[in-house]
Amino acid sequence: MRPRSKSDTARGRRWGFLGLLGVLLGAPGVLPTYIVHIGVFVFIDTLPVIGLGILSGYAGRVSLAQGALFGVGAYTTALLTTRLGWPALAGFVPAVCVAVLLGIVLGAPALRLAGLYFVMATIGIQQIIWIVLMNWGPVTGGSQGIRSIPAVTFGPVVVESPQAFYYLALGAALGSYLLSRRVLASRLGLELRALCDDELAARASAVSVTRAKVVAFALSAAWAGAGGFLYAHYVRYIHPEMFTLEPSILFLTMSIFGGARSLEGMLFATGILESATEYLRPLGEYRMIGYGLLLLLGMMFFPRGILSLFVRQPGTGPAAPAPAADEPAVR
Amino acid sequence: MLWQIVVGGVATGCIYAVVGLGFTLVYRTLRMVNFAQGHVFMAGTFLGLLLATRWQFPAVSLLVAVAVAAYGIGLLLDRWIFRRLYHDHVVFVVGTIGLGIVLQNAVRLFFPEPVPFPKVFGERIVVLGSARFQVSYVWVVALTVLLVALLHALFAYTRVGRAMRAVAADPEIAGTVGVKVPRAIGQTFGLSFAVAAVAGVLIGPLYFVSFDMGDMVGLKAFCAAVLGGINSIPGTIAGGVLLGLLEALAAGYVSSAYKDLVAFALLLLMLAIRPTGLLGYETPVKV
Amino acid sequence: MKHVAIVAALVLVLVSGGVSESGAAAPIKLGVVAPLSGPGTSYGLGIKQGAEMAVDEINKAGGVGGRQIQLVVVDDASNPGQSVTAMQRLVNQDAVDLVIGGWGSSQVLANMEVSERAGVPNIVVGATNPKITTAKNKWTFRVIQTDSVQAKEIAKIGVQVLGLKRIAVINDSNDYGVGNKDAFLEAMDELKQKPVEIQAYNSSDKDFTAQLTRIKAANPDGLAIFGTIPGAPAIMNQARDLGITARFIGTGGLANENLITLAPKASAGTVLTTLFHEDVDADGRAWADRYTKLFGGGSQPARPVLAAWEYRTIRFIAQPCLQKAGTDKGKLRECIATWKGKVFGVPTEVHFDETGQLVQESVLVEVKDGVFAAYKRK
Repeated sequence: MRPRSKSDTARGRRWGFLGLLGVLLGAPGVLPTYIVHIGVFVFIDTLPVIGLGILSGYAGRVSLAQGALFGVGAYTTALLTTRLGWPALAGFVPAVCVAVLLGIVLGAPALRLAGLYFVMATIGIQQIIWIVLMNWGPVTGGSQGIRSIPAVTFGPVVVESPQAFYYLALGAALGSYLLSRRVLASRLGLELRALCDDELAARASAVSVTRAKVVAFALSAAWAGAGGFLYAHYVRYIHPEMFTLEPSILFLTMSIFGGARSLEGMLFATGILESATEYLRPLGEYRMIGYGLLLLLGMMFFPRGILSLFVRQPGTGPAAPAPAADEPAVR
Repeated sequence: MLWQIVVGGVATGCIYAVVGLGFTLVYRTLRMVNFAQGHVFMAGTFLGLLLATRWQFPAVSLLVAVAVAAYGIGLLLDRWIFRRLYHDHVVFVVGTIGLGIVLQNAVRLFFPEPVPFPKVFGERIVVLGSARFQVSYVWVVALTVLLVALLHALFAYTRVGRAMRAVAADPEIAGTVGVKVPRAIGQTFGLSFAVAAVAGVLIGPLYFVSFDMGDMVGLKAFCAAVLGGINSIPGTIAGGVLLGLLEALAAGYVSSAYKDLVAFALLLLMLAIRPTGLLGYETPVKV
Repeated sequence: MKHVAIVAALVLVLVSGGVSESGAAAPIKLGVVAPLSGPGTSYGLGIKQGAEMAVDEINKAGGVGGRQIQLVVVDDASNPGQSVTAMQRLVNQDAVDLVIGGWGSSQVLANMEVSERAGVPNIVVGATNPKITTAKNKWTFRVIQTDSVQAKEIAKIGVQVLGLKRIAVINDSNDYGVGNKDAFLEAMDELKQKPVEIQAYNSSDKDFTAQLTRIKAANPDGLAIFGTIPGAPAIMNQARDLGITARFIGTGGLANENLITLAPKASAGTVLTTLFHEDVDADGRAWADRYTKLFGGGSQPARPVLAAWEYRTIRFIAQPCLQKAGTDKGKLRECIATWKGKVFGVPTEVHFDETGQLVQESVLVEVKDGVFAAYKRK
């Protein structure tokens, strides 16, 4: 049997991908509505997760502010559609833009920090945004949340039911997957990987490190905002409690669980972890313990990500190594 | 009124300081943040609750018993769990997050609702000037001071302590001069657990205990550690007390709703100006 | 990638196989969304127990029209996002005929969007935000009084009956606390009194020294607490420690036995509007005794307050309507909307108004000798 050539693997991948896509497209016809509903959340979540993945897996920065930025996107579109009467779709661009803007304004000063200090800063950003959402009553509705957010409409078609939204969310997830692959294959992606692996060397090789970091952060914020937009128009009621540190942690674990630098891994992990709270229901009272164990044991035994079980990761770089004892706090 | 607020703020600050110590100890040695720290604090409180209600442990023996038990558990968890996690930053973060979730929900199974903690430090109300407070507050502050003194002694004068410091400074070299590095790391975890658990017992009689009390305290303690310098013990203590004080003042004089904002705004500010914290010793090097 | 596709397909098959829905089941399905974890646990437990008690009794007596009632309880972890999913599950997966339950205004506001859109009658027993029952929400009903009504009531009691002249207010900054506070202030305005101090706190706060110190400085003779467990008992304890001797008043959030467990000395003398008290009439007393026998004495204290409404709604409203209208959702809705009757624990006959709100007189209690004692308006 002749050895597998590169084009064979590529073709294998493509067929696998199309096969998966086919399964996903056909799913709503076969599965009960409740499962489709979970599927919608899985697809919505892939957006902030991919955003995080670009930031962490490729730019080597771990952010715990994604939940808040997701919320910013959701609130932007919610406010525009409920207070100003804008049609749902019109809220998309503002949702993304405000998330990016806020992300850059708050995050830029933090970007010069390395490793753990950056994480700490993002925690601060997350909490501050959340506290403002919760307490700035006149604008955000505070603890009452925002109700009756309109559904997305394409002309006469109202995208309301889980089945209908499933396709919208799937499309969005697909789009972001393909888009992020483009981005990562581009020069920017190269720059990001360079600065993750060795920032000093990257600078020396004329990589505009600061610009790359800012762009990475902006991209991750954009994806978060887009995800928030979808969430708002699906659930139709948002409340600050939905955008706490908890979802930030959830998104982070999803992006890590599948394996650093593996977009497919992240999607897979999102699928597993998002639906976990539901398929673990048979555990009854022990449901959340099961979830915690899933994370803990997963990290203990599959530090390279759960996907490494199935697919041999071609040349995945080592995940960000622990900085040496004398590494400076700021780079 | 000011004085009353100050007293409350200092006491809360001491709790942040002590729990923050747990973060600091682990960070100094491993450069990692244990996201389960807040939940360890909570578990320590419940351990104390059990000992105090079932077997009527009085104050001092309660503190000692909880500290020893937590130390042992820290050692065990290091052996079984942390050792498999601390090879990589992000793995450690997600892993300890998972551990925290397990701890929190395990406790929740037994205690789904807030429970009162027995008043092991007595019920006397102390009056100091215009401030009135429970005698527990005095214990909190006194024990914090004692703890810092003990830790200082540990690190300066004992072999175990010096070994931990050596590993914190440079694990490789420490290994070459005969320090059993994995053991020292285990002891560090044990210590961080013990410290958090003691804080839990101290705070128990002041407020009700519930399975979710670790969330906010853990987060604030973390901010306190960063504020004061996450690689400096005196820094963490200072950071904690300062944070508690500023928070209480903000609640009393500015707005009680936005008081949590204080902690996080300070965090960001400190990270922007001086990432290593007030008393942290790592000098930022801009390359 | 190929492997992933195969695994995904397998998972899909397994999942769809495992969750295949059997055809229209003979039993009547009653859905309950309640917090069984998170801050609302003690309230959620009460709801669940009330439902279990009612359904058991109905089924033992032969069910409704020969059909047994199947109770489906879903935990929403006191979280609005999860509450939406929980309701989705009930409405789509379990295909319930109606929903009775719900605790926490944020959760209910979120999950009712699902039941409204799906056209499933939803009777709320544990959320007081006025926005829940409006003329627009055709399928949503509520049996407990709203914030506005309870807060107004307690304001009147505070000023006119208890004779308080310097009332301070402390409220949770969530929608429950804020809603109550706003209604209270409005009522105080009408009574021509101004609160001497208003402070707020976050639900997760443990220490209220700062807020209480300011309140103490205002020298109040009454303190209105708008919050739930564990904030409220903590506030009471700390207030007394600080030397505040004001009388505590409050609304439904305080109506939980745990209040007395957590603040045994401090809560004495508190007057509040509650959702149920067993001494209002003999039937109520009888029910409370049966309930305590069933659920009391375990590791968890019995909590009749929310259980009572859940029980009464199922027994006195749902059962007759299911009998009359069957499980046709439209007819069920009609029946509920036009229902009137007498239930134990409420002195006069009650009915739903045009927004779906049950109109009733408040029940007042005072904390005396370690229990909630009926409080008579003079």
